[in-house]
Amino acid sequence: MDPALTRNFSIIAHIDHGKTTLSDRLLEVTRTITERQKQDQLLDAMDLERERGITIKAHPVTMAYAARDGKTYQLNLLDTPGHVDFSYEVSRSLAACEGALVLVDAAQGVEAQTVANVQLAMNQNLMILPIINKIDLPGADPEKCRHQIEEVLALPGEDALLASAKEGIGIEDILEAIVERVPPPRLRGDDTLRASVFDSVFDSYRGVVSYVRVFSGTIEKGRRIRMMATGNDYEVKEVGVFTPKQSPRPALGPGDVGYLIANVKSTADVKIGDTVTDARKPAAEALPGFKEIHPMVFAGVYPVSSEDFEQLKLAIGKLQINDAALTFMAESSAALGFGFRCGFLGLLHMEIVLERLRREFGMDVISTYPGVVYEVDKTNGETQVIDNPLMLPEPQEIEEIREPLVKAFIMLPNEYIGDVLQLAMEKRGIVDHTETIDDGRVMLVCLLPLNEILVDFNDRLKSMTRGYGSMDYEHAGYQPAKLVRMDMLIAGEPVDAFATIVHRDKAASYGRKLAAKLKDVIPRQLFVVAIQAAVGGKIIARESIGAMRKNVTAKCYGGDITRKRKLLEKQKEGKKKMKAIGRVSIPQEAFIEVLKTSG
Amino acid sequence: MIQVPPADREPVRHLYVHIPFCHRICPYCGFYKHTPGATDRKRFIAALVAEAHHAAATIPLDIETVFFGGGTPTLLSHTHLELLLDGLHQTLPLSNVREWTFEANPKTFDRAKLEILRTHGATRLSLGVQSWNSQFLQLLGRDHTPEGARESFELARQSGFPSLGIDLMFALPGQTIDQWRDDIDTTLDLQPDHISTYNLTYEEDTEFMQRFERGEFHQDPDADAPFFLLAAEKIPAKGYHHYEISNYARPGHASQHNSAYWKGSSYLGLGPSAVSTIHRQRWTNIPDTTRYIEAVESFHHARGSAETLTDNDWRTERLALALRTSQGIALEMVGGPHNPTVQSLLEQNLAHIRQTHLALTRKGRLLADTIATELL
Repeated sequence: MDPALTRNFSIIAHIDHGKTTLSDRLLEVTRTITERQKQDQLLDAMDLERERGITIKAHPVTMAYAARDGKTYQLNLLDTPGHVDFSYEVSRSLAACEGALVLVDAAQGVEAQTVANVQLAMNQNLMILPIINKIDLPGADPEKCRHQIEEVLALPGEDALLASAKEGIGIEDILEAIVERVPPPRLRGDDTLRASVFDSVFDSYRGVVSYVRVFSGTIEKGRRIRMMATGNDYEVKEVGVFTPKQSPRPALGPGDVGYLIANVKSTADVKIGDTVTDARKPAAEALPGFKEIHPMVFAGVYPVSSEDFEQLKLAIGKLQINDAALTFMAESSAALGFGFRCGFLGLLHMEIVLERLRREFGMDVISTYPGVVYEVDKTNGETQVIDNPLMLPEPQEIEEIREPLVKAFIMLPNEYIGDVLQLAMEKRGIVDHTETIDDGRVMLVCLLPLNEILVDFNDRLKSMTRGYGSMDYEHAGYQPAKLVRMDMLIAGEPVDAFATIVHRDKAASYGRKLAAKLKDVIPRQLFVVAIQAAVGGKIIARESIGAMRKNVTAKCYGGDITRKRKLLEKQKEGKKKMKAIGRVSIPQEAFIEVLKTSG
Repeated sequence: MIQVPPADREPVRHLYVHIPFCHRICPYCGFYKHTPGATDRKRFIAALVAEAHHAAATIPLDIETVFFGGGTPTLLSHTHLELLLDGLHQTLPLSNVREWTFEANPKTFDRAKLEILRTHGATRLSLGVQSWNSQFLQLLGRDHTPEGARESFELARQSGFPSLGIDLMFALPGQTIDQWRDDIDTTLDLQPDHISTYNLTYEEDTEFMQRFERGEFHQDPDADAPFFLLAAEKIPAKGYHHYEISNYARPGHASQHNSAYWKGSSYLGLGPSAVSTIHRQRWTNIPDTTRYIEAVESFHHARGSAETLTDNDWRTERLALALRTSQGIALEMVGGPHNPTVQSLLEQNLAHIRQTHLALTRKGRLLADTIATELL
């Protein structure tokens, strides 16, 4: 395809601002798909994506558009995951484009996620086209949106196109703007093969399908290629484009977006952001921007019934084939039995993995509290990376602990600013600045420890702003913090599943909260059971469960004996299923109950 | 079909007879009972005697203790009682009987009825007083008044029963610890030979259970504990031996029949819903008087459900029952004195070792079910 007639672009938007609807319209208007095909194949999406209105995998599609200038253009739309958990993948998808459409809901205005994604697009030097969508809505206020686009996104507001993807208004204008304003792929001087991998999926019949953008040279069937980051060579079996189905083509040339299949067995062998080159005539340097991705959030994942361990292992293994960002390692817990320590890109990624285990594999699983990855400088000069609280060195061996930070963009109605500032402070946040979006809303930009926003931050933000607050964030490096490991002890025995790394100043209140919750769910024993939170051997919170006082059958004569025996057998069965923490017997459900409700 | 134990086995020495009739149905009671209604009592007695006859022909018997429970055994008329007791004497080997108990409700007997019981061998009367407080008697649906109970007790004394027992209930809805203390004191003043104290429990298919489920009554084992402990302090202080969780006796007056259950001895049960356990065989008679009578008339017995006790079942029962007694359980049954569970019970003062046995302390008795589970 002639690069001059090719346009590569993405759509970025806050959730529910109409990204999917606009994509559908573009495909319809360019007759890429018919109405009938829409439901089956348009997004080829997981139920989970459709339900949550999120995109997890990239969904590229190639459209042919007959423009008003009489020429037919090849438009490649790279639909990308919009969530910060996948910001690296997003950055690779954006790097494969020359332009981005930014959708703003005409009634809602600019939201936190819009800001974060526009920043990513700007970092890639993309041509950004603002589009004010849903102008048919009664509450639409395009002028206010133009103002916000200027003020908050720093984009020319008067250039924003008006559209209603739902009603089909402005779609042609958008297509024309893509042709006119998004630059064609820039050509390099040589014809050495350089293509960037922006996603990959596993196909059980054909192996790994890599999604690529060609920057220079060509790829065709039979070519020996090299993945520059891994150094592995493969023979190309097939190349093609997305129409949106995978449709084979003889070759992919400069500026093209498509796929390649080359006998790769696992997505772990295809690194997102890697450069594909010719094995016989390799490029001297890889394309910029490649990074090894590392999980940011870790948690223990356990089967609710221990006999499901092997099945869980298979299920996680299968997920990993298609999700190279997921890591897992077997671990065991006195409280929860055998399970896995899993690494995720973020909380959404974790939720998705757990949800997929439940839905696609029918697994009943429970996870421990998610934790982040800490950097620890030890007094002996070593630096350790800690993803499991149990692995934190003893306090006297620690010189410094650093924790990951995020830069959070929080948008909210003015009247809630006090509450939200308080929340940010409670979460150890530092406010960077606030911006007025319009007469009703402000944006709060602050630095927050990632650990602090893992569990309930978003829920609390939503509830204190009656659902109007929104948040997005980007990673912002590491910073030293006064962190300690807190252990929960039951009758003097530490319970591994509840060990956490917390800020020193918050340990006592967190410990009290957790102790109180454990107290509620642990059944009484024959003796008094102390529940303690401890930091470095010092007890910082304490609860106690009184001894059981009375459990005795009143009448026990000839006719009652069978019933009595059955009662005891039942009690014994129940006890067998319990987990022993020292001499305390605790049903696993008790732990699960606490893990479900705490944060 | 129930296996009949071989004749060379130990004969069965304990007999239970179930009389299912009650004047009125107490709203807390979970035993099989009904008002006599249209039941042909003569035919019922004939069936009981026929069942006894068949048992005597198939099971080696040498009866030493007899227990008539119910229902209300003393509800049978003079004539019917005589008919039944004569019938049993003619059918069963009763010459070695050492103890013969009748459960009796106050105001269901007169001097003449007691005389019939005495002349037919009864030695013990267990009087279902339940409470000395008329308010609670009413709540429990009992027919008698405190005065009536006292009169009945005196009457039984005068009739020369060698052993007289009083049954009480505690943890009644709304009962205060002082009210319970009054009940204990009143009972002790009468100097019965035996006292049973039962924690009220909410049994399936009773009116009390329905009221409990509706939230009218509450259950709090913790709150019941002081009631149990009060009895366990006061009654032994007057010379009674706390020989089982719910039972106290003056020396020589412990129920030999009930002790046989707790020791795991074989026993034969006659009458509707009666349970028999002979060696490892256990069966329950049909719990329906009409069907019971029909079954006995057709088959000479009325065995309904049956089970064979495995070694494990047997051990569980031995442990559960023996732990309830003051003698306790043989240490070898619970893994010896060094078993960590045993050690832990000793440390917590829930049990103590008496020579070869592990017995529960007063504190431990309150937790007998949990401790039995721990030791299983």
